[in-house]
Amino acid sequence: MKDKQPSFLDAARWPIAFIVLLLLAWEGAVRYLGIRSIVLPPPSEIAVVMATRYDLLLTHLWPSLYLTIAGFALSVVGGILVAVLITYSDIMRRGLYPVIVVSQIIPKISIAPLFIVWFGTGTVSSLLLAFLIGFFPMTINSAMGFQSIDEEIHKMARTFMASRWQVFWKIRLPTALPHIFSGMKISVTLAIIGVIVSEFVASQEGIGYLIKLAGGLLDTPLMMAAIAVLSLSGLVLYWIIELAERRAIYWQSTAGSLAETGG
Amino acid sequence: MKPDVRLQLDARSAHQASVPCAVRVRGIRKIFDELEAIRDVSLDVANGEFISLLGPSGCGKSTLLMMIAGLEFPTSGEVTLADTPVTGPRRDVGVVFQNPVLLPWRSVLDNVLFPIELLRLPVEEYRARAMELLRMVKLQEFAGALPRQLSGGMRQRASICRALIHDPAILLMDEPFSALDAITRDDMAVELLRIWQATRKTVIFVTHSIREAAFLSDRVLTMGRRPATIVDEIHIDLPRPRNIAMTEEDSFNRYVRHLRKSIEASHEG
Ligand SMILES: Nc1ncnc2c1ncn2[C@@H]1O[C@H](COP(=O)(O)OP(=O)(O)OP(=O)(O)O)[C@@H](O)[C@H]1O
Ligand SMILES: [Mg+2]
Repeated sequence: MKDKQPSFLDAARWPIAFIVLLLLAWEGAVRYLGIRSIVLPPPSEIAVVMATRYDLLLTHLWPSLYLTIAGFALSVVGGILVAVLITYSDIMRRGLYPVIVVSQIIPKISIAPLFIVWFGTGTVSSLLLAFLIGFFPMTINSAMGFQSIDEEIHKMARTFMASRWQVFWKIRLPTALPHIFSGMKISVTLAIIGVIVSEFVASQEGIGYLIKLAGGLLDTPLMMAAIAVLSLSGLVLYWIIELAERRAIYWQSTAGSLAETGG
Repeated sequence: MKPDVRLQLDARSAHQASVPCAVRVRGIRKIFDELEAIRDVSLDVANGEFISLLGPSGCGKSTLLMMIAGLEFPTSGEVTLADTPVTGPRRDVGVVFQNPVLLPWRSVLDNVLFPIELLRLPVEEYRARAMELLRMVKLQEFAGALPRQLSGGMRQRASICRALIHDPAILLMDEPFSALDAITRDDMAVELLRIWQATRKTVIFVTHSIREAAFLSDRVLTMGRRPATIVDEIHIDLPRPRNIAMTEEDSFNRYVRHLRKSIEASHEG
């Protein structure tokens, strides 16, 4: 079953070709037009910075990555727990759920300076911001997943005297998994944004801090190298979730049926 | 309690209770909000009997079946199974729905064993019985397959196995074959009779196919338009075991004509 699914790398072949082409065009344009590297460095120069100053880049990548993963993990756990509450409590569903949906409109990023005031310039602010902005899509997606249980399957289970507990573990949770994973994919990208913004506002380390620092020094190649490293890390995180999703939701593959007719 | 691996022995266990009446419905009435779905329905089903409820769409057949299954409750009247009133879902009932409703993430075998898990019975001990049931419907090779790898007819056969796994005395079937094509449907009817012959469950079979009802049943109850009442009762005295060839014979077609008339009469009334 698994081998019939196109692997991530197979699927990525064309986008990668496209990106390579784009980088070549960029390189050519910068050289041909003689654009100064302080305005727009060519990809080759960014690559050189990445290769030569990797220790500086990695020193600042780890704290950001670590906070992103921790904040993301918190938002996954918190989001699923609140989604369970919303699913099983009438009061929560009617009171809390609409509030959470509407509060999506608030740009959570704007709270970053407030968090600095409350929790200082350390890791706590970054962690909480990453958690907060990842939490909402996680909750909404999971709640939708838990409530998308097939009514006929539910009825079937009730004829066998299924308890609420059994219905949750054996039906609701597997039904919700695809929704939970789409929530995770949104949350992980938001968690990165949360950490970076928090580091922009006030921090002495992290990729966000490095980007700001390089900007202040007008060191555009370093700034773009930091952005590239950050983007690659985000891509890897996303890919890990995608991989986990394929393993967890093994029953939704595109493989054909073993038999087309009822013999 | 050890599960019975040999299906033939089920016949004995069903009769052991020696209750003359497996299902007894008395003066049932069901009102949904304003809508009166069922008005004064009574019926008795003997142990090991195969009866069909035949009626037009929306007349309340599913509602009646769900009340027997303990998933719906009558506004007034009473349902008793094996002499005890129905107060909710119970272990001695198995239900087959119009759709197979298999869990897509479970293999066919694990789907068949699902009720055992829900009823907190030892799953390991029922594995052999599940395989035996799958063999009976010729699905043994697909035990490890996922539902999406099966055709509609195969899925429905798996769902029949699931309804039988805990050896219920009563099997309730709500238009189980109506989503299938005509050829598969005939095969499934023959298959069902074979299963019934081997296990001797009490079966209540809901359908709006006149021929299906006549072919399968000992007795057919026809229902009129909403609010549903039972308008006629026809005993089908065709010999058993039955086969598809019998549906060509005059004796069979006489029953079909009779049933059709009875249904048409109920429409005019
Ligand atoms: N939960 C419910 N709430 C309100 N009305 C309902 C409910 N369930 C069924 N009904 C109504 O009761 C009537 C009988 O429905 P039911 O599903 O029992 O019909 P049916 O005979 O099984 O039809 P079909 O052959 O199409 O399956 C219908 O008019 C339906 O609209
Ligand atoms: Mg129905």
